[in-house]
Amino acid sequence: MNLRRLIIRRSTEIFFIFFVILTILFLLFRLAPGDPVSRMVDPSMTTEEAEHLINQLGLDRPLWSQYLFYVKNFFTGTLGNSFHYGEPVAQIIGQRLPNTILLFTTSIIISCIIGIYFGKIAAWNKGKKLDVWMTIGALVLHTLFLPWAALIIIWIFGYKLGWFPLNGMLTPEIWINPETGIFARFLDVLHHMFLPLFTLCIIHFGSYLLIMRSGMLETLQEDYILTAKAKGLSAIEIRNRHAAPNASLPVVTSVGLSLAFSVNGGALTEIVFSWPGLGRELIFAVSNNDYPLALGSFLFISIVVLVANLIIDILYAYLDPRIKY
Amino acid sequence: MIIKMQISSLKVRKKGIVILLTLIFSSFLFSCTEKKDGTILKIGIAEEPRTLNIWLASDANSRKVLSLMYQNLYVRDPVSLQLIPWLAESMPLFEPETVSYIVKLRPAKWSDGSDLTSDDVLFTINLIKKFKIPRLYSKWKFVKKVEALDSQTIRFYLQKPVAIFVTKSLSVPIVSRSEWADVAKKSLTHEKPLTALLNHKIKFPLGCGPFVLKQRREGAYLYFEKNRFFFGENKKIAGHILGPFVEKIIFKIYSSADVAILALKKGSLDYHWSDIPPGHINGLKESKHIQVFVSKKSALYFMGFNVRHSPFSDAALRKAVSILIDKEFIISRILQGYASDMTSIVPKGNKFWHNPQLPAYGHGLTKQQRIKKAYAILTENGYTWKSPPINEQGETTMPSLIRLPNGEPMQDFTILTPPADYDPHRAASGTIIQEWLKDLGLPAHSRPMSFGALLSQVKQRREFDTFILGYGKLSLDPDYLRSFFHSKNNKKRGWNMSGYHNPDFDVAADASVAAVNIGERQKLIRRMQEMVMTDVPYIPLYNPMRIEAINMNNVSGWIKMVGGIGNLWSICMVKPKQI
Repeated sequence: MNLRRLIIRRSTEIFFIFFVILTILFLLFRLAPGDPVSRMVDPSMTTEEAEHLINQLGLDRPLWSQYLFYVKNFFTGTLGNSFHYGEPVAQIIGQRLPNTILLFTTSIIISCIIGIYFGKIAAWNKGKKLDVWMTIGALVLHTLFLPWAALIIIWIFGYKLGWFPLNGMLTPEIWINPETGIFARFLDVLHHMFLPLFTLCIIHFGSYLLIMRSGMLETLQEDYILTAKAKGLSAIEIRNRHAAPNASLPVVTSVGLSLAFSVNGGALTEIVFSWPGLGRELIFAVSNNDYPLALGSFLFISIVVLVANLIIDILYAYLDPRIKY
Repeated sequence: MIIKMQISSLKVRKKGIVILLTLIFSSFLFSCTEKKDGTILKIGIAEEPRTLNIWLASDANSRKVLSLMYQNLYVRDPVSLQLIPWLAESMPLFEPETVSYIVKLRPAKWSDGSDLTSDDVLFTINLIKKFKIPRLYSKWKFVKKVEALDSQTIRFYLQKPVAIFVTKSLSVPIVSRSEWADVAKKSLTHEKPLTALLNHKIKFPLGCGPFVLKQRREGAYLYFEKNRFFFGENKKIAGHILGPFVEKIIFKIYSSADVAILALKKGSLDYHWSDIPPGHINGLKESKHIQVFVSKKSALYFMGFNVRHSPFSDAALRKAVSILIDKEFIISRILQGYASDMTSIVPKGNKFWHNPQLPAYGHGLTKQQRIKKAYAILTENGYTWKSPPINEQGETTMPSLIRLPNGEPMQDFTILTPPADYDPHRAASGTIIQEWLKDLGLPAHSRPMSFGALLSQVKQRREFDTFILGYGKLSLDPDYLRSFFHSKNNKKRGWNMSGYHNPDFDVAADASVAAVNIGERQKLIRRMQEMVMTDVPYIPLYNPMRIEAINMNNVSGWIKMVGGIGNLWSICMVKPKQI
């Protein structure tokens, strides 16, 4: 099967899978107990007012009618209006998404680079002290409880040493000053980004290190590595030029999926660092029965994950010519 | 030669990188140093305000920031808690012949410099009524007509005398006609007018409060400046000469209470407008520049019964449960002493309305005494045990199989609570109450469930035995008694979640709404509390304290009242310290 046919076939599959996800998500939220109006625990809200609000929000219509409305909203691109923000969901996602991508995508790329680098060194030194310490270190960091690690990092670098801001994405005092230049603002965002980025990297790079190490160990058993050694190539050349590229295929899958899932952010990271991303919104929307916002966010994540899968399949074909579809 | 040049260029590059990194790092350190500036008040909030549309705002943080801009006709005095004129010049004048109230406005301006007139008040009320704004419509639906007598005087005609008109109706925020008239007109042409109105995005509200919103970066901060047209500036109201004395306010978002506390200690925040967990108090008190405030709240956390069916349709069983619950233990151990005991639905701090002469079930009794007392009540009412909780020697023992007065064994029942991650106090209370009830042989099972599911079960489906819920902010007017226990509210989505039905209560509740004479209303409200605490559809458990902390370095003059120091008075009164 050639690449074009693969893309057409997978795109059709993705379209159908997406419709299934869309329907399941809709049903999941509507069948879950509670509704946005019952969440308003305020004795001032009378039954009459609650029913009027339900009518106005369209929540008293039959389920099929709400479903059709929801599908229409999806295809018109607005994804409906959030019950709590009163704004189009697409707009809310649009505001939060760049912040999430900035933090999480950067962290994945950095932790991936560090993980691959140390992974190949660990594999090359298999059984030696360096390998043991790296593997143990990676396992420990990978299993750290993120909010705890984040608070410790904030306490040391933000509070005790005072090198970095405690949380947030901006320093209001800098941004409200009209004389502040773009470079100062850029530095300010970078400054705020350091601690969450550092936390995410030390937690995530361990997994890439372990994946890379295991891929490298398999690759190093291959005959062509023996041939390379027999040809008299240097150890670094064999490791970096011959073994590492072939061993990095599983890392590509992992990075691809991580990048796709990075759009939903990490709610815990975003909460501890008060980072204004999509993950925090998702938690709020789900816990407050804000159906349009929750559904819109989940749908958006589904699309990104499905498309990322397609891209990974295509990348595989390029990276490993042995793979045929 | 070429190699030498490459090496030297590498060295130059390295030097450049080192210098650049040093510059960036030092600029970081410089920006991290907290500058002492008393003219800016830095307030932390736990969540981003969801909206600045006053009609949509249902979350606490939106209401907090909006309270700096939109103002009411009357507000509560911070000490006496009595209503006092705010946008109004004097207390409303009641004319019994026409069943109308006359309110005179004090001279005030909107933040754009235009005059606030009776036309704005008229517009606000008509908008609330026309769109049936949730939470506000019920406060105005009995108002027949509103007319402007002149630019500063308004007359409200009521269908009949209603007691909550002054305490609740006249406490709604007033909006400017110029801000909302076009929006309202456009919304009315929409298929769903209320939705259209609620979905209207307001970027910079036009208010008449002490501050004006100047800048907002969503997810990051809100920046306010002093309103140069604020009507209260340099005026003496309720014995306070009002400011505002700080020039600017910045609201920052601190989603984690732990980080907010670090920010207070570090000086990045002056005040965190949110509850601080009791566990942090000792740590905060160690910092010399931090002051901790513990304030009373007007709140109610309670255990409710489903009195619609057996076994909790029996008041004797509800009283027995009430005696078994050791509220002092819940307050001292679960809430670490930061709560007050409740003997009525109306908190003790609300002195005028609270009935102090109500039965305090089980108060001051030991565990054995509680079991014995509850056992005596149930035995008197026909309950039996296979193996009773009190043996022949009069000692407490492990009971088994309790039977109802009709001889049937009591079925297992559940105590629904919110989960521990939502409210650890209520979840822990449910677990401990379950154990106390088992001491009497009552087959109770505490079941934490998601808050949405719990509300749906209790308010809509009404499939429950008992539950633990709470209201974190009850109004100071006790009209909520009527909402909670009047039989007409015993319906889907109604606030009478227990299904309580007492014709005498209904009569008293209806009379309390119509009682314009405050003394007469006080008697009725106290009588209603007595009926509720005799029939025990709810067991009031505790009223938690509000714990807040401030950084004393920059500003001073916070005003403490019921609900904490985060209030309009503090906003108008805090002053910068000498720099």
